[in-house]
Formats: sequence, C-alpha cells, structure tokens
Amino acid sequence: MTIDPTDVARYLLLGAHAPDAALAARIDALRTAALRVIRPARTWRRGDLADWRARSATLALRLAGCHAVYLACGTLGAGFDALARRTAATSAADALILQAVGAAAIEAWMDETEDEIRRGLAPGETLVRRYSPGYGDLPLAAQRDLLGFLDAPRTVGVSLTDTLLMVPSKSVSALIGVRKGSA
Amino acid sequence: MTDTIFTRDRLLFLDGGMGTQLQAKGLRPGETPELWNVTRPDDVRAVHDAYFAAGSDVVYANTFGANPAKYHGDAPLADVIAAGVGLARDAARAAGGARFVALDVGPTGRLLRPAGDCSFEAAYAAFAEQIRLGARAGADLVVIETMGDAYELKAAVLAAKENSDLPVLATVALGADGQLLTGADVDCVAALLAGLRVDALGLNCGFGPDRMLPYVKRLAAVTSLPIAVKPNAGLPTVVDGRTVFTVGPDAFASAVAALVDAGASLVGGCCGSTPAHIAAVRRVCAARRPPRAAPDAPRAARTVVTSGSRAVEIPFDDTIVIGERLNPTGRKKLKAALAEGDVAYVLREAVAQAEAGAHILDVNVGVPGLDEPAVLDETVQAVQSVTDLPLQIDTSDPQALARALRHYNGKALVNSVNGTEASMAAVLPLVARYGGTLVALTLDESGIPPTAEGRLAIARRILARGATFGLRPSDFIIDVLCLAVSAEAQSANVILESLRRVRTELGCRTCLGVSNISFGLPARPLVNAAFYTLALGAGLNAAIVNPLAADMMTAVRAFRALTGRDPACGGWIDAFREWTADSRPPAPGRRPAGAAAAEDGGLAASIRRGLKADAAADARAALAGGQAPLDVIGAAIVPALEDVGKGFEAGRVFLPQLLMAAEAAGAAFEVVRAALPPNAGGAVRGPIVLATVKGDIHDIGKNICRALLENYGFKVIDLGRDVPAERIVATARRERARLVGLSALMTTTVGAMEETVRLVHRELPGCLVTVGGAVLTADYAAKIGADHYAKDAMGLVRYAESLFAAAQ
Repeated sequence: MTIDPTDVARYLLLGAHAPDAALAARIDALRTAALRVIRPARTWRRGDLADWRARSATLALRLAGCHAVYLACGTLGAGFDALARRTAATSAADALILQAVGAAAIEAWMDETEDEIRRGLAPGETLVRRYSPGYGDLPLAAQRDLLGFLDAPRTVGVSLTDTLLMVPSKSVSALIGVRKGSA
Repeated sequence: MTDTIFTRDRLLFLDGGMGTQLQAKGLRPGETPELWNVTRPDDVRAVHDAYFAAGSDVVYANTFGANPAKYHGDAPLADVIAAGVGLARDAARAAGGARFVALDVGPTGRLLRPAGDCSFEAAYAAFAEQIRLGARAGADLVVIETMGDAYELKAAVLAAKENSDLPVLATVALGADGQLLTGADVDCVAALLAGLRVDALGLNCGFGPDRMLPYVKRLAAVTSLPIAVKPNAGLPTVVDGRTVFTVGPDAFASAVAALVDAGASLVGGCCGSTPAHIAAVRRVCAARRPPRAAPDAPRAARTVVTSGSRAVEIPFDDTIVIGERLNPTGRKKLKAALAEGDVAYVLREAVAQAEAGAHILDVNVGVPGLDEPAVLDETVQAVQSVTDLPLQIDTSDPQALARALRHYNGKALVNSVNGTEASMAAVLPLVARYGGTLVALTLDESGIPPTAEGRLAIARRILARGATFGLRPSDFIIDVLCLAVSAEAQSANVILESLRRVRTELGCRTCLGVSNISFGLPARPLVNAAFYTLALGAGLNAAIVNPLAADMMTAVRAFRALTGRDPACGGWIDAFREWTADSRPPAPGRRPAGAAAAEDGGLAASIRRGLKADAAADARAALAGGQAPLDVIGAAIVPALEDVGKGFEAGRVFLPQLLMAAEAAGAAFEVVRAALPPNAGGAVRGPIVLATVKGDIHDIGKNICRALLENYGFKVIDLGRDVPAERIVATARRERARLVGLSALMTTTVGAMEETVRLVHRELPGCLVTVGGAVLTADYAAKIGADHYAKDAMGLVRYAESLFAAAQ
C-alpha cells in the first residue's frame, strides 16, 4: 500500500499549488500515521451481467460491449476510521488532511485491485472504468445487493448503515466490466 | 449437560462447513442459506447426517444468519429457526448416542457504533430474539461464531446469557494479522469472554489450521476455559471468480492434531471443510488428550482489562498509569463541559492523556444535578470512540455503573467497591454479570482504618465476598487509600506498609490515587512526585495520576528504568531522547530546525504558516519580552488570522492552511489568555450549537466549522454526529443559543436535516439555523427552511460575526 503525496494534495483541492513546507510536513506525518493503522482488504467475484445491465441505463452504457462484469469491494479497514475519530478530537486541520490521505489511499488500493483482476483476465480481454451505486441512475440502494453478493461484511468487514453509507468509511464498491480489445 | 460437554480434558468433535456444503448443492452467492431450512430441508438434513456419520458429537444448526437484523427471507424467522434446529435434532436422534445440537449465531452484518451506526442494544435485541427462538426450538447449546468485532461479540454473549440457560461457546474470526476486523487480539477476546463467563471460547474461520497454531498457544496461556477450533480448509483462493479451499482431509487433520496438542479440546472445521475432513480429524485425534491447563494460582492469574481493541495487563511485578483528568472534582472546565454536553472538550482531554502515556483512563462524571446514569453512559461511549485505551468506570451510583458497564466496549476497570455491605451487595453482582476488574477501597461503615492491619482486614472481607460471586483475587486491585499527610502525619507510612502487605499477604495488586497525599501543602507537585516514587518502591501497581504532569511521568519512567522493568531503558530513552537541561518537550507544528522566530517574522508569521507550537512559544516570548497581553492579541494574533481568512476568501490560501493557521492562533491565544486577568479577554460570542444530523456519520465539515468558529472567538457546543433533532433542540433551549449549525453530507440524510430545521423553528422561535454540507446548495437550504446556507466554514464565520455583531 502506497500513498502518493501528490494525490493527497489533489484531494485537498490545492489545484496546481504545491503545499508549503508546514503543510507538506503535516501531510507526511499523517501519511505515516495512516499507514500504521490501515489494514486494507478486498474481494471480487464475477457477477450477473444481464441483471446489472437491466438495473440502470447509465451502467448499461458503461458496460456496452462487455461480456462479463466483476463486482468488487475494497476498504482501508476500521483502524483508519478510529484514527480519524481520534484526530478529529484534537485538530480539524489534521482531520481534514487525514481525510485526503484516506481518499488517496483507497483510490490507490482500488487501482491495485483492478490490476489484480486484470492479471486474471484471458488474453485479449480488458477492463472498462469502474462504476459504483449512486452514480447516474443506479440507486445507492443497489449497494445492498452488491455487498450481499460479495458477502462483504464477512469477507472484508464492510457493511452498510441504515442510510446506505458504507462503513468503514474509506471503502469503495464497484462494478467493473470486461470487454474484448485493448485498454 | 454443561459439565460433560465443555471440558479441557476430553475431546469433543464439532462439525465442518455448512455454507460451503450448501453451495456445493446449488446455493448461489447472495442467496439466504437459512431459507433452505424450509425450502430444501432434505439438503440441510443431509449435511447434518453426513457430519454425524463422520463422527461429529455436535452439529451447528443452519441458523448462522437467522437474526432479525440480517435475515430478510420470505419465510418467518421463527419458522426458519425452528426448522433449522429441528433438522439438526432429527439428525442427532437418527445418529443415536450422545449427540448435541447447537444454535448457530453469526454476526448481524451491521457495524456497531462508533465504527458504524448500529446501537449496542439493537444488536443485543437481534441476538436475543434469535436465541430465544433457538432455545424454544430445543437447541442444546448456543454457539456464537465468526465474530469480527469485540463489541458485537459482547452483545451476542450477553443476549445468550440473559435469554437462555444454555451453555455458550463463543469463537471469533481472526484476520491474517491475528486481529479481529476492529482490532482486538487474542488476549483481548479471552479477557472479555472470561469476564462474561462463557463456557468455552476459541477461533473459527479466518484461515487454515496451521496458521491458527500460534493463536491457540496464546489462548491456552491466557485462559483456563476449554478452547474450540474450527479452521477453514486452508486460505480461500479465487479461481475463475469462485472461492476454493485447497487443504485436503489428511493435511487438515494433522494440522488440527497440532492444535489439540497446543490446548484445543473442541475441534471441527469451517469454510471448505467437509465430512471427509471431520472423519479424518476424528481418526487422527481420537487417541489424543489436550494438555492440562496451568494451575490457576492467584499470583499467576493475570489481571487484564480491555477496550474493544486492546488488552492492558496490570502486572503483579510492574506498574501502570491511570489517567485521572476525566474527573470533575476540582476541575471547573470539565464540570462546565459535562454540564453543557460539550463532548469535544472531554474527548480532547482523553486523547491528550493517551498521548502522554496513560495506560487506562478514569471516567467520572459526578457533577451535582446531572443525570449521572445517562451522562456516564454517553461519556464512556464517546471516550471509547477516540481512544483504544481501556477505561476505569468511576462512579458511586450503582445504576450508572450498571448502564455504563453494560454498554462498555470491553472488560472495564470498575472504580469501585468498598467494604460496606451496601457497596458489596450492589457492585459485585454487576461485575459478575458484565465482567470487569474491581478497584476495592479499604474502607467500610466505620470509615478508613488508621492502620495497615485494619485496611487489610477490609480487603480480605471484600475478597471473600467476591469469591461467593465467582470473583478471584486477580479480579481485584486493592486501593489502600491516600490521606493527606498534612492532616495525618503517619499517613504515608501506613500507605506504604499497606501496599507491601496487600501484595505479600493477599497476593493482590495495588492501586492508589497518589496526589491526595499533598492536600493542604504548598508545592504539591513536588510532594506528589516524591511520594509516587516511594509508593512505586513499595509495590504500587496502578497509580491514578495526572499523566500530563511531567514530574509524575518522570518519576514512573525513572522507577521502571532503575528497577529493571524497562528493558534496555528503552522507554526512558524514547521519552527523553531530545532532553536538554532547558528543553521543552517536542511537539508537532514546530518550525524547521535552525529557523529562529526573529528571522522569520515572529508570532504573526508562525500563525500564517500554521505552526502551532511555534505560535505558542512566540506568544510566550512576546509576553516575556514585556508586551502587554492585549497588544499581543491586537497587534499579532488578530491581524494574522484576518490576513489568512482574506487570503482564503480570495483563493490564495487553501482550507488546510486556513485551519492550521486558525489552530496556531488558538494556541497563541491560550497562552495570552492565561496571562490576562479573568474576564479581560473580551466577551466570548455565542453559544452556537453544531451537529451532524441524525443518520449521518460524516463530521469532517462540522469539525472544520467548529475549529474555525472557536478560533474566531465564538463559544461552540458541539454535539457530534448522528444527532437526533430532539437533542439539538433541547441543547439549544438550555443554552439559549441563537444559532444552530447543521451539517449533512449525504442525500440520504438531508431529510433528517429538514426535519431538524422544522423542529428548531417550531420549538425555538428566534433561534436561527444555518446549514451546510456537500450535497446542499443555497436554493436547497432555502427550500428546507434554513435561515442561512454556509457555503464553507469561513462563510459561516462571517455569518456568525454579522449576527452576533448586530446583537451587541
């Protein structure tokens, strides 16, 4: 697991501005603290392409030309959230920076997850960009079926709140289509 | 049956995987396995029959997910559980002999607070219903398994103990690093479960039997309860998008045999294991006997308390620090914070003590007029959300103790029981029920005995009474009570003698609130540190002290280094690596080495750069250099902060930098305020009540607003996240707040925001509501009836400034 400070700066909405020395030092300290508590986990499994296409027009568009779909879920684990709660108790600045660190970390982890899935593809197959419930016309409620299918509470420790938020908070669920052709 | 079924002396064979067996018969991913109890009973029955034929003594009914929080099948839950237990019962009858049926209880699939949004009592209620139905259906025992969260595990075990008379076996699923999903290790789980008095405990799922070995060895070392193992048939691997388990029956059985040799006496398999695996285990292990448990001598018995993720041992031959600062006695700020419901202040105190090196934190909310049971319960849970240290629940109100202890995540230290009949009768049963280590105060109806002999006599009486509740000497630490030496000249001598004798004569660990000794004397910190050192030398195991008092922490660190308790003096070296004769402790937010305040612009520059520790130091230097406190505020702090705020509004300064600057300004202001006469720091504006609305657990935006408002001189009452509308209204009413700020991040929680706005307006005419959050816009804010839309935190500060300026 690596966390790129440039990604962290991007999630802090610094745009093209490089962080000054004081901010760069805080980013670095919080990256180190996060890496100590992150326990990343992931799972994926081939899903029912026709079923998912039928649920959402925008998802069907993303899956156009695909012959299979993977359902995936990744998380940084509960330890990161515990660190975030502790940090929020003492410094809003650190809490904000830590959120950006977490965002950069989970995105990097999902990119790695896609790489893993890609390694298992047949020659000539490629993945399309990942898609999640809550995008387009695919309702957030689809999380229930997606995470249920993956048995996510048990396999990676990710579950849903009553309001359909994933916990631990730094978790990503995704639908990733497979099609023929190069990337 | 309990006597015969759970024992560490004889092997008992459990069954193997159920879910993977059903999958082999056609169960699809995402399908509800328990529904098969009514739709495909023959298939479920066939699995039980096969396990009994393979030699299982106990099978688990197909009820793993049959709790109302998780189960959403078409058939009624009661039918599914009755059918599931019935099928296993039929199979047991058909197999003949001594065969047992376990009600299988798995996790709810929900994450409990604070990690998730499910309350402890909601999880408890789900388990309780499942267990009542299972007991009614005729199960012989309750098995709680595959738990990945110590808190949920506690809810399940309590539900089993309080809703049935059946024996309880509880097993957890460890991750590859030997921890539960929420971080507890084997020590932590063992202490929790022993405190809750399960009949047997152990491990299931997670990984294969070979990887379980070190954890079974550890369990055998820390518990005298029977140990169960149900490993997977190896690590799951994904082939062609399908999960497969690769360890065959013979390899599985020989690895399980090694677990038996390490101390396991209940053996079976989990995911991927089959009747063939169980038959092989039975064959290979039949002639084996697990090694006998170590004798449970009081001195050897460990004294352990836990949080949800960490076990802390109170060793007989070493010493630990209990942080005393979360106790309102003599602490005005904390008293006010508790009365106002200002959770943020309490949490900062907790984190500061943890960072200073405390091992356990005392939590006492005894403020006259407060609803102690409610406030203690809430405070304990809030503090647990920001620290992984175990807590000492400190109250003399048995009702408050019962509620806090029930909802505590882990096995708590309980302060306290004493030798009075009333105290023993109220407190001992609570600890027997919920688990806990007890601080026993050596006083009774006649007060505190003046002699060591008298104090030991009371301790003996408490221990004897505890034994009638199944509590052992290692479940107590004895507080010999600290009286002021200014009032009683022999006080310290009696304490030191008592400490020694409690250890040698009772074999018990000791505890003491050290700083009482100096009451009534000048230079109290100096007396405290000297006495602390003496007490440590006399065998003090747990000192209730202020971990932020450098003298005290220095005393204990020096004691440990000097008496061979700090290997290679590592702790001492870590704490004092950067010490010089005039050094201050290292802190975050310092300027790079070599850069001095004078050459980089002093206090204003430190604030602009967001260097917290430097800003405080610069403020101190400015005061030492003769600047008037109000000048430091007016000439440096306020202009620097204003500068940064304008930079943010102009897009030159970014949010993290704005916050860092605000916190640096806050640190400098703290220093200056301490130098001002009381009430001369300018009126505090507010209060403003902030909360993230019900159902929403995102609080970063709200926290940013709080930090900025506070550093701009507003008084903020922060109610936290997932806050019901009623609580927000009640607080605003009590505090006469003119402004309430609400935050919501998700479209799914904007409804709760709208409802809160409506309730505030209905109940509190004249109280304004400002709203903010990622999904909101000014239009939307107006639509849900809010008085103001805060585009960002700076916007909120400006709004508050205009509002409170107009009011003055």
